[in-house]
Amino acid sequence: MAFRNTTRSWGSLSKAFHWLIVLLIITQWLIAERADELKGLAKLEALAWHKSFGMTVLMLAVLRLAWRLMNPTPDLSQETKPWERALAKISHFLLYTLIFAMPLTGWMMSSAKNYPVSWFNLFQFPDLVAPAEQTFHQMHDLHHLLFKVLVGVALLHVAGALKHHFIDRNDVLKRMLPFGRVK
Amino acid sequence: MTNYLRFLGATLSLFAVACHASQDAAKPAAAPAAKPAAPGAVSAAAPAAAALPHYSQTAANSALKFTFEQAGASAVGTFRKFSTTLVYDEKNLAGSSLDVRVDMASVDTQEQERDGMLKDADLFNTAKFPAATFKSSSLAKRPDGSLEAVGKLTIRDVTHDVRLPLTVKPTATGLQLSGKFAFKRLDYGVGQGEFKATDSVGNDVKVDYSVSLAKGGS
Repeated sequence: MAFRNTTRSWGSLSKAFHWLIVLLIITQWLIAERADELKGLAKLEALAWHKSFGMTVLMLAVLRLAWRLMNPTPDLSQETKPWERALAKISHFLLYTLIFAMPLTGWMMSSAKNYPVSWFNLFQFPDLVAPAEQTFHQMHDLHHLLFKVLVGVALLHVAGALKHHFIDRNDVLKRMLPFGRVK
Repeated sequence: MTNYLRFLGATLSLFAVACHASQDAAKPAAAPAAKPAAPGAVSAAAPAAAALPHYSQTAANSALKFTFEQAGASAVGTFRKFSTTLVYDEKNLAGSSLDVRVDMASVDTQEQERDGMLKDADLFNTAKFPAATFKSSSLAKRPDGSLEAVGKLTIRDVTHDVRLPLTVKPTATGLQLSGKFAFKRLDYGVGQGEFKATDSVGNDVKVDYSVSLAKGGS
């Protein structure tokens, strides 16, 4: 499997970024749900994981975007209709925006609450905003709203991939699968 | 693909370790407790303290900050209410003294839920121990010429002998007293129950104070 992308398929590093971020986002959702039920130290610990994974997503997002700009983007199949292309472009743009916006709003929530962000207890990120209750509530609401948008766009993204695979019978899904091979 | 992931992981952890190391190097050393008195610190028997100038804390320009570790990150809190009395004569350090009283319920970490948790029985237990105090019997000079207050620090019901570094600078209206020291919260029983564990809430606490003093008062 090639390391770099080609115009026909995703390279292994792009696939790694994609699936690693998928796994992290699902983990993030599970931890956040659990943390809501916890109190005291247990909540602090759960949120510490949430923050560490979230900052990992942010770092991966930076690397991923850089890698995307340095590589060819595989084209959609020739039969893809213009409206499908437009929808794909918009949803990809939104997904890229969200893998930055989710961690950044989370980071600002932490700073606003004076609960600075550590990365797996190894180092501490600087605060983005000064502690303020109002900022916290704004960022909290935005973080939750963005998550809903993320779920919506991700479902559309999955639906699109499945349509390519099962209805259009092209290799758009296959070329992003971890061990998928494209003829 | 596994190789690239490994490479990515290794790069990230190298970066992390580098940052961690530099953070450690920046940590100030803890104030040594119960160190023998510096030679030459006490020159003569102290005359009655009443004869020495008294200074007390003014409302403005005073701050008592503490840095605590939680979930691998350090955050800063303050105490809104505390009072300081300094008896100070640079020519009579043995007769000088420093008294500080901190209203533990005035803790402010910019987050009400956490402030509430701090005041609860497992941490400060402000219902039972409303104040933390530092009472010094004398001031002394360290070998490097800087000042320290020799005395007893009491938090909750636990008292330890400590020597707190301090700097005294004259101002237009009196003196500005400042200093930094560190201690372990568990040495003073701050952390009962689940808070005895130090992996989520660190044992190290750093204190940074700056107090504006005016002549007079008790």
